[in-house]
Amino acid sequence: MPVDPVRVREKDSLAQFLGWFSVSLGTAQIAAPRAMCRLVGARGNGPAPTIMRLMGVRELSQGLGILMRPRPTAWLWSRVAGDALDLSLLGVTAATNDGRRKRTAFAIANVLGVTVPDVFESMYLSRKRGEPRAAMLVRKTVTIDRPRGEVEGTWARADMLRQKIADAEGAVTFTDAPGDRGTEIAVDFLHRPRAGDLGAAAAKLAGKDLATQLSDDLRRFKQQVETGEVVRSDGTPTGHLLTTHLKQRPAQPLEEAVR
Amino acid sequence: MKATCWMGRNSVEVENVPDPKILNDRDAIVRITSTAICGSDLHLYDGYIPTMKRGDVLGHEFMGEVVEKGKGVANLNVGDRVVVPFPIACGNCWACRHELYSVCENSNPNARLAEKMFGFPTAGIFGYSHLTGGFAGGQAEYVRVPFADVGPIKVDNGLPDEAVLFLSDIFPTGYMGAEMCDISGGEVIAVWGAGPVGQFAAASAKMLGAERVILIDRFDYRLRIAEENTDVETLNYENVDSVPEALKELTGGRGPDACIDAVGMEAHFHGPLYAYDRMKQAMRMETERPFALREAIMSCRNGGIVSIVGVYGGLVDKFPIGALMNRGLSIRTGQCHVQRYLRPLLERIQNGDIDPSFVITHELSLDDAARGYELFKHKRDDCLKVVLKP
Repeated sequence: MPVDPVRVREKDSLAQFLGWFSVSLGTAQIAAPRAMCRLVGARGNGPAPTIMRLMGVRELSQGLGILMRPRPTAWLWSRVAGDALDLSLLGVTAATNDGRRKRTAFAIANVLGVTVPDVFESMYLSRKRGEPRAAMLVRKTVTIDRPRGEVEGTWARADMLRQKIADAEGAVTFTDAPGDRGTEIAVDFLHRPRAGDLGAAAAKLAGKDLATQLSDDLRRFKQQVETGEVVRSDGTPTGHLLTTHLKQRPAQPLEEAVR
Repeated sequence: MKATCWMGRNSVEVENVPDPKILNDRDAIVRITSTAICGSDLHLYDGYIPTMKRGDVLGHEFMGEVVEKGKGVANLNVGDRVVVPFPIACGNCWACRHELYSVCENSNPNARLAEKMFGFPTAGIFGYSHLTGGFAGGQAEYVRVPFADVGPIKVDNGLPDEAVLFLSDIFPTGYMGAEMCDISGGEVIAVWGAGPVGQFAAASAKMLGAERVILIDRFDYRLRIAEENTDVETLNYENVDSVPEALKELTGGRGPDACIDAVGMEAHFHGPLYAYDRMKQAMRMETERPFALREAIMSCRNGGIVSIVGVYGGLVDKFPIGALMNRGLSIRTGQCHVQRYLRPLLERIQNGDIDPSFVITHELSLDDAARGYELFKHKRDDCLKVVLKP
């Protein structure tokens, strides 16, 4: 019997890489246009920095487009066009500025280097047909060392957690764990990030995405069922929650015991 | 109350902090009568364990008197004298039911941090970084003990603190190191590190029936303490060119049947490899200096056991996996599942099989904790073990 695919998503890692590449390059071009000009052998004064900054805006928007769309075919082709534009600008630079030809040549080699995956990925995405699959099936699971009846009974009383999963149209399954290890709970839900990969990354960083929250919730549920309490420490007095991990207090007794 | 706080690398201070309070029903508050500085506290002191925060209360070896308990603690009474194991364990999860207390699934409120670092989380530990839960430790006047119905063992036999205090960590840790060697009688066991854990590993290997135990260190005073208190042979590695060669000569060319690494991540070594690892560690390119472990693997006889109880925290480099694989060695390791050993080892102490107090060289007031750390770290004044009295 095949194992269920846990991830069903269309975009591949190359498109994601190119998206993040655009975002970082564009940010550098906008933030430090003069330094970037000198890097490619252009003048740090005159119109060059302004052109560099405009190219940065272009690069950044392409990056965001790639990261936010489920199937960013047009955005990828726009990167190919951008490469052509960059090459012609660098050609002009090389022709008019004879002092730093080596740097310009190095920049041209770099652009050519990234043009190859750009074209490859654009052609790959162009061959795709049908609705793009943006959603990802996420599964969060935990084993609780208690018989299934008891776990299901406690679950039925965990109203907030059940509501959270219902809101996300998630499905919960209970299975007997192999070898008398209690009960496995699995929560499956389709994750459709509103702002694509970019939004997903931001939510994950802040610990606000459902997958992170659910794994915290399941851990706390397990603690509650197995030990009768959610363990608290001086550094993490709220018990297990990712959002509090980032701003821990020292492991010193609390001034006021809030129970 | 007064508590020993970590204030940054190479700095501890005894500060005034709030008294601990009951936070969960299964908590107890213990008034500390004796506490000790552990070799693994030195890894925190030296700044090699990540996720420490300025102000963290240190200490995971302690004992004292129960002064308050939550309503979920039925087996203890106020006034009971208890020794508290360093791993915090719930007693209810699969791991605890299988006596794997130091990997309890429920006692670490920062499980996710540990999971990122180690793949799966480990149990909470008193005063041992936020990776292991951010619990305030016991080098203080009072401590909060979570799951107090599972960990602490009552000691009402009239034995002094010094005889039973080390049940909290180093005696069971050393004992587990020896137990993992599958000693059935007649073995030759080599132990790296004559610190307190190495002393107990060597003594336990003898107790379990090993015919010969060879204890390796570079400090003569530590080796002398072992010779005087346990019937072991000693090897000062600074007097030999190569430890694996020396061990071969001492064992008829076979190598020890099992090797115990009671050193861990901050090993010393003479030779250019030390400079290499020390530099990489200082630059945080690897977290460990695994000389003892490398030697233990290279020295062990074919098909033997390498038992690791010295603490490691991250990644090593130049790990002799080829020797390990081709010669069929087994690695056994783990943070000690202390709760498993409390009763049997207390019996050993009561029977007079061993008096663990032989490792104590210094007894200081809690106020002198900072001096205790300095003495222990730099091995000044022939320091082997520091006990603090609040």
